[in-house]
Amino acid sequence: MIAPLELTREILAAAAMVGGTFFMIVTGLGLLRFPDVYTRMHAAGKAGTIGVALLILAPVFFFAGSEPFVSFRGVLAIVFQFITTPAATYLLAHACYATRYPTHAGTALDELGRWMPVVPDEDFGEE
Amino acid sequence: MSPWFAWVTQSCLLGLFGAALLCLYRILVGPGAADRAVAFDTLSAIVIGMICLLCILWESSLYFDAVWILTLVGFLGSAAVARYLARGRLFP
Repeated sequence: MIAPLELTREILAAAAMVGGTFFMIVTGLGLLRFPDVYTRMHAAGKAGTIGVALLILAPVFFFAGSEPFVSFRGVLAIVFQFITTPAATYLLAHACYATRYPTHAGTALDELGRWMPVVPDEDFGEE
Repeated sequence: MSPWFAWVTQSCLLGLFGAALLCLYRILVGPGAADRAVAFDTLSAIVIGMICLLCILWESSLYFDAVWILTLVGFLGSAAVARYLARGRLFP
C-alpha cells in the first residue's frame, strides 16, 4: 500500500510531465508546419516556454520532501527560462526584421515597416 | 516509484524524442540561419525537459543543476546568432 502523500506527489508530477510533453510536441509541429520564420518564432516562444516550465515543475513535485533544494533550483530554472526565452526570441525577430528576412507570401499587413525603414549597408555599424 | 508512474515517465521521454526529431528536421532543412537558431533554441529546451525526466526516472537530483545552467547557455547561443545576423560579425 502506497502512502497517500507519495501518491499525491506522483499524480502531480505525472500531470506536469504529460502537459509539458504535449506542449513540446505542439512546438515541434509548429516548427515543422509554419511557413515563415516569424510564425515559427511564435510557436517556439510561447508553447516552448510553457512546456519547459511544466517539465521543470515535474521533478519539483516528485522530489518534494525527499531531496533538499530541488524546489529552489527548479523555481530558479523556471524564472531563468521565463526571462531568457522571450528575450532571445525578441532579439532574433528584431535581427531578422532589420535585415529584411523574407516573410510568407500571404502576409497582409506590415505595420512595423513605417517605423523601421530599410537600413543601408554603410550604416551597419562602424568599422 | 509505482509502476504506472515509471510507465508515464518513459512515455513522456518517447514523446520528447519525437519532438526533438521534428526540431532536428528543421535544423537540417531550414531555409535560413534564423530558422536554425529558433529550432536550436527549442531543441535545447527539449534537452532540458529530458534531463528533468531522467532525474525522475533515476530518482536522483544529481543532474538537476544542469537544468538551469543549460537555460543560460541556450540563451547565449541564441543571442550570439541574433547579433551575427544583425551586424554581420560577432565581436565589434
